Amino acid sequence: MKEKWNYILYLIWFSYLVLSALLMFGHGFLLSRKSLSDVSECVPLSNFGCDGRENSTTSEYCSEDEKIRRIASNPGAPMACSAARHRVVFMLVDALRYDFTQYDPSIENPLPYQNRLPVIQETLDSRPDSARLYKFMADPPTTTLQRIKALVTGSLPTFVDVSSNFAAMELQEDSSIDQLHKNGGKVVLLGDDTWARLMPGRWLRSHAQYSFHTWDLDTVDNEVDSKIYDELRKDDWDLMVAHYLGVDHAGHRYGPNHPEMTRKLRETNARLKKIIETLPSDVLLYVLGDHGMTETGDHGGESKNERTAAIFAYRGAGLSADIYGTGREVPQTDFAATLSAALSRPPPAPSLGTLMMPTLPKMSTTHTLLMLSNNLKQITKYLVRYGEESQQVSLEKLTQLINMTRDQIDKAASVYTENELNNYIADVRTVTENVRNIFREVWVEFDSLSMLRALLLLTLAIFFNWLITEGIPMERLPNIFASTFVSTGLISMAVCVVFCYTAYFFELLEDVEHAIFLSTGLMSGLLTCSLVIMHWDGITQRWYEGRSQLHERFSRSALVGSAAVLVSNSFIIEEGAVLSFLSLTILALIAWNVKTIKALALWVAFGAVLAATRVYRGCREEQGDCWTAGGNQPTGQASRAALVLALGSMAAVVAVARRHIGWRGYGVVLAGLFACAHWAVGWGTLGSPGRSKLLARGAWLVIVTMLLLLFRRDGRGAILPVSVCGLLLYVASSLVLGAALAPAAGLGLLAGCLAVALVAMVKTEGVTKFSLSARCSSSTICLWSLLACYMFYGAGHHATLGHVRWAPAFHAGDPQTVPGLKYVAGVFMFLELFGFPLLFGATVPLLALWGRPASTVGPRSQLAAVFALCLKFSLCFAIRVFASALSATIHCRHLMIWGVFTPKLLFESGSCAAALIGAILGAALTAWHTPSQQKSS
Amino acid sequence: MFTLNNQLEMKKITVSSLISCIYLPSIVTVISYKGLLYTVGNGSSFYILVLIFVAEILKAFYLSESNNEAQQKRSKPGKSRASDIVKSFIFLLCVMFCFFVGIILFGAPVLESHEETLMLSALLTLLTVFPLIAHAGVETSMQLLFGVKSYTKDSIFEMLVNNSILTVCGAWLGAVVIPLDWNTPWQQWPIPCYLGALGGYLLSNATNCRRTCLGTCRLRVAATSRSVLRRRTRLYSDIYVSQNRFRVLARETELPATSV
Repeated sequence: MKEKWNYILYLIWFSYLVLSALLMFGHGFLLSRKSLSDVSECVPLSNFGCDGRENSTTSEYCSEDEKIRRIASNPGAPMACSAARHRVVFMLVDALRYDFTQYDPSIENPLPYQNRLPVIQETLDSRPDSARLYKFMADPPTTTLQRIKALVTGSLPTFVDVSSNFAAMELQEDSSIDQLHKNGGKVVLLGDDTWARLMPGRWLRSHAQYSFHTWDLDTVDNEVDSKIYDELRKDDWDLMVAHYLGVDHAGHRYGPNHPEMTRKLRETNARLKKIIETLPSDVLLYVLGDHGMTETGDHGGESKNERTAAIFAYRGAGLSADIYGTGREVPQTDFAATLSAALSRPPPAPSLGTLMMPTLPKMSTTHTLLMLSNNLKQITKYLVRYGEESQQVSLEKLTQLINMTRDQIDKAASVYTENELNNYIADVRTVTENVRNIFREVWVEFDSLSMLRALLLLTLAIFFNWLITEGIPMERLPNIFASTFVSTGLISMAVCVVFCYTAYFFELLEDVEHAIFLSTGLMSGLLTCSLVIMHWDGITQRWYEGRSQLHERFSRSALVGSAAVLVSNSFIIEEGAVLSFLSLTILALIAWNVKTIKALALWVAFGAVLAATRVYRGCREEQGDCWTAGGNQPTGQASRAALVLALGSMAAVVAVARRHIGWRGYGVVLAGLFACAHWAVGWGTLGSPGRSKLLARGAWLVIVTMLLLLFRRDGRGAILPVSVCGLLLYVASSLVLGAALAPAAGLGLLAGCLAVALVAMVKTEGVTKFSLSARCSSSTICLWSLLACYMFYGAGHHATLGHVRWAPAFHAGDPQTVPGLKYVAGVFMFLELFGFPLLFGATVPLLALWGRPASTVGPRSQLAAVFALCLKFSLCFAIRVFASALSATIHCRHLMIWGVFTPKLLFESGSCAAALIGAILGAALTAWHTPSQQKSS
Repeated sequence: MFTLNNQLEMKKITVSSLISCIYLPSIVTVISYKGLLYTVGNGSSFYILVLIFVAEILKAFYLSESNNEAQQKRSKPGKSRASDIVKSFIFLLCVMFCFFVGIILFGAPVLESHEETLMLSALLTLLTVFPLIAHAGVETSMQLLFGVKSYTKDSIFEMLVNNSILTVCGAWLGAVVIPLDWNTPWQQWPIPCYLGALGGYLLSNATNCRRTCLGTCRLRVAATSRSVLRRRTRLYSDIYVSQNRFRVLARETELPATSV
């Protein structure tokens, strides 16, 4: 059987095509903003002449006020440094949501996060001149790295940077801290080491702690506490950055509705009180949250709760008049300009914010004017520079914006009274808001060419492979794959790659990756097309003769329908219900085809299982009723009932499966026991986390060993190893899902078994005995893939970034502390999110082989059937991912593009990758275990 | 081509479908005019079900009244008719419960809004199984449901079964609009499915009318000619294959290929 490994190679080839096209799409779609390396400069006041020009030749004398007015109203003049520098303490409390800071004495039974920071309200009441509290609106993405970048640069970091959250890179743009550092200011850093990695070498003293692996709530905070009061007493610094992580970690670990959150907030309260007491009266204190958190304690998306952070400003010697009023929304982009102004520096070059006057010390009108004009001049300069560097914003818009800012600068000279000043401040704010809105609109710069190319490549791959699986008669497949088709394909791909690299070497090409993807994709399209043309007679004959049954036709349209509704945001939000509805209908039609009581009973059981998974389905914020009813998953410990269910489901699966799988059963039992012990020992307050983690490691060891042992040949056919592989993947995914959600994994497995049992009963017209073509019908495989997609939701996930649970990455200890195990956490996360597509993909061969002695059909046609099924399964996922890519393209300016469509695309790509890997794994296992000798015909 | 009996059935089908095509839209029009369209899920809208019940019973009487004499003679005296009614009532309740469970499996809320789900399952029962029972009695319809008896011979049965299938399809299709975020009052559970079921039933009746009035003969002819054509091409391809085989055989046995 020459074709045996050619099947696997072809599957790998197909996976490469789909994934490369997806990568290409991602490159075009998830582009980041253009970052300019410009740096703001300012000129000391003494270098200006009285006409408001630098190094002016006029020698007339004038007062400083006069001079500043001239400078401020001259759009051509450079920025002038303001004189008064204040010392600033910048205390970042990660995930400080606005309602954490509010104090309402009328609440009788406050929630764990309510009324825990009374010091803020007390200070606001007792010293209204010295304290300010506002809502501090973060822009999505609300992840810490992006927020820190936004706070120091005043710009809008884009979505694609999310991926670099765990390996912070040096900031390329100008920032407030750079401004201060260049001017000889001294900065002290305490806390999270993201800062140190983002801006290395800027610190006078840095007490940074690696933050991500300290999953506990206190280490970083205690470290900061031990240093901060000493530092406050010193006066050799100009800016002190203190980053507290405890609240954020408490949110991630337990959610806001937990006593731990109360404890962390109380700590913060005491800390704040002490700091306010020890703070010298001329030092500015900013206490702010970089983002909020959802009701489950996660963040990353753009929901109101995640975006609404708090900012609290305090200065013992008083601040400017509060023209905003407590509780007003201010954008986070304003912070960089404000911080720079307090440190007597111009705003950093990429800043798009304006000054938050009420949080700055009192200043004379002229100095305020100077700062405002600095702000406007910097924005104008940025607009001009950005227009030079990039064509993102249309020229008319830019000109209009520049004219607006210039007009404002001109008006500065006529401002004298307090009232006029306030109006002027409001005008400047409106102008910057306009600028920011326009940039926010266009800042997601799509590379439409590569997006369209990627869509084309996906179309090519899907269309021709669909023709191959649905058209070419099953009897011909072994011969095709025994021929030189696959090797020709691989050689031509290699030629393409070599050609591209040669062209790249001679600098004929710029983007070699893009070129490789494009050329290999087109070449494979050509090859598959020629294959289709060569077998056109077989395809037409099969289509002409074959009349597919109702359930097949319906299931195809159901799959296409489930892909097509990805264009609508409401269907994406309710996708769990949609998928279970569709898969139940397909199975109902299959049962209708079988028409026996047993089939009906199986169908009802399947429906009941799917209905039971509804308990585990989570809610996303868009699902109003469900969300407010608190139907969202708890992130913390499993309840007692959940633990019992988890142990019971695992024990039941293992006990039932053990008898039928021979010696491999011992391995599965061992893995299951380890998993159960891991949950039981780690449960509750009496549990021992250390031992529990050790047990989890034991379980993983057994699972990996068993997976390797699957490749031991025992000559008893492929059914056993494939089902053992499925069982092992089940144990693995319930292990990562944790005790609270493990029963969902068991339900998923049960649903799969019921579906297999029902599918095995399908009759075909005129054929009484078993027929492979009935088994390979598209209804089976569509059902299988829809079920795999559904179980993503059934296991409590949702296609939002805020919904990703990070805890599973650490259930077996923190792998990042062990060298060489860096990627284990990534693998765990992948398994947790996409374990079910992987499981269902690996068990696809069972659909063809289940419930039948292997002797009725020769190994060649068995293998061909398995291959056809695996390819169809991959194809189903490719179709779905194509649809979500298409909908992301269509909706790229939609209101919910970052909230709904892009996360859907990301998660769909992930499950597509998992399904492809799973299908390859299953097919490889089958090929490995299928006996090679051929029956004489 | 048609026998007298067939023509009679045709007439009955036409008339009963026309009746449904008239009474259902009028009910819907009246309740929507009264502003009660969005209350169809509540128990207070029970009168709609009663109306449909009455109409269906009348239709069933009409359908079975002028059956040929042989069947009328077989019809039993009043005593067993009462037991028939009780039996069919129990059967209907069972069917309704099955619909109820099925709807919940398909995604209706499990613990809440049982009233709405119950109204929908009652409507589905009334539109699907009830006409069958009223026309043929419990035994026959049970046999039909469990596939013991085939209904292809009897065109009235065919019509009734078609009606029920399309009704269920309509209810199924109605669920499509529920997840949309338009926040309209008619997206409340179970209004789309309820109206979808009515729509499916109506559509089925309308097509029945069209089929009986206009195109039956033509359709029949077209169908036969198509099947003849298919049979013939299959024959040709068989011949082609056997010729090929013969050629190969000839080559292997070194016979001159021209002798084929």
